[in-house]
Amino acid sequence: MEFIAFVIAIAIANEALKGYRLSKEKTLLYLNISFVLIGAGLLVDGLASFIVLVSGVRRGFLYPFAVGYSIYFVAQLLAYGLLVYAYIHQARSLTGPTLLAAAPILFFERNAFTELILIFLLVYIATQTGINYSMNKTSNSMLVFGAFVSLVIAHVFFLIFIVAPIFFPLAHIAQLVGFLLLLAMLVRVNKPS
Amino acid sequence: MMPEKQAEVVKPTAKYRSQFRIYVDIMSVIQRENNQAKPTRILYGANLSHDRLIKYLEELKALDVIQESGTEDKTYALTQKGIEFMNNFRRVESFASAFGFKI
Repeated sequence: MEFIAFVIAIAIANEALKGYRLSKEKTLLYLNISFVLIGAGLLVDGLASFIVLVSGVRRGFLYPFAVGYSIYFVAQLLAYGLLVYAYIHQARSLTGPTLLAAAPILFFERNAFTELILIFLLVYIATQTGINYSMNKTSNSMLVFGAFVSLVIAHVFFLIFIVAPIFFPLAHIAQLVGFLLLLAMLVRVNKPS
Repeated sequence: MMPEKQAEVVKPTAKYRSQFRIYVDIMSVIQRENNQAKPTRILYGANLSHDRLIKYLEELKALDVIQESGTEDKTYALTQKGIEFMNNFRRVESFASAFGFKI
């Protein structure tokens, strides 16, 4: 599932880069960097999980799994933080130090608190895309809104899977649904009119 | 006692347009006019002064995205390169708009 999501994330990043090259609009560059980070995190996490699965779940092999997830986690924090910055940047101009203020979150370890930060960032992005959909009422903006809602649900499931393990596969499914919705938007945008 | 009427503060309603956005606006007007637009149409459609319009039209001609025809009664049309640019722009605009970003 991570590999499929990785391919979609890179496709979104590529489209954003093409848009930035054409328009020189900074928000598209932020979108590009965000999805490159998400894609890289997904790839590392997917590879680490693959190594653990292939080698059998033995004690020594759980280390790459933990490292892989930690890298993915940091990548997501940076990516969603940058997306939030892009939405704020669009509303009003911010200076560099505002972005630097988010740097300490890099040093947090993986726990429920850091997962809550991710959910908080994603809820903000989902709200912004929801507002955009309520104003535009286009299918593409609905797909992006749906994608970020799915990602919020996925992270809520990641948070509560410790209580009930069933939420772990459900979280992965919700995450995949989110990226598939983004893929659907990308296909629609590139469809010849 | 009634307070004196204060002088009205005129706030700018139009947002700053980048050079890129002005190029796109000019080319959109030309496209809208069935790819044969007179300067007056472009001037009103793209909301530009005459001097700025002439300047931007020269720049767009130099970029080979529009072409001029006629001597007295000038008209402007998009070149193949210009049509391709506008198609790419519409795609990027649609993509950015899906995320709620304006370009």
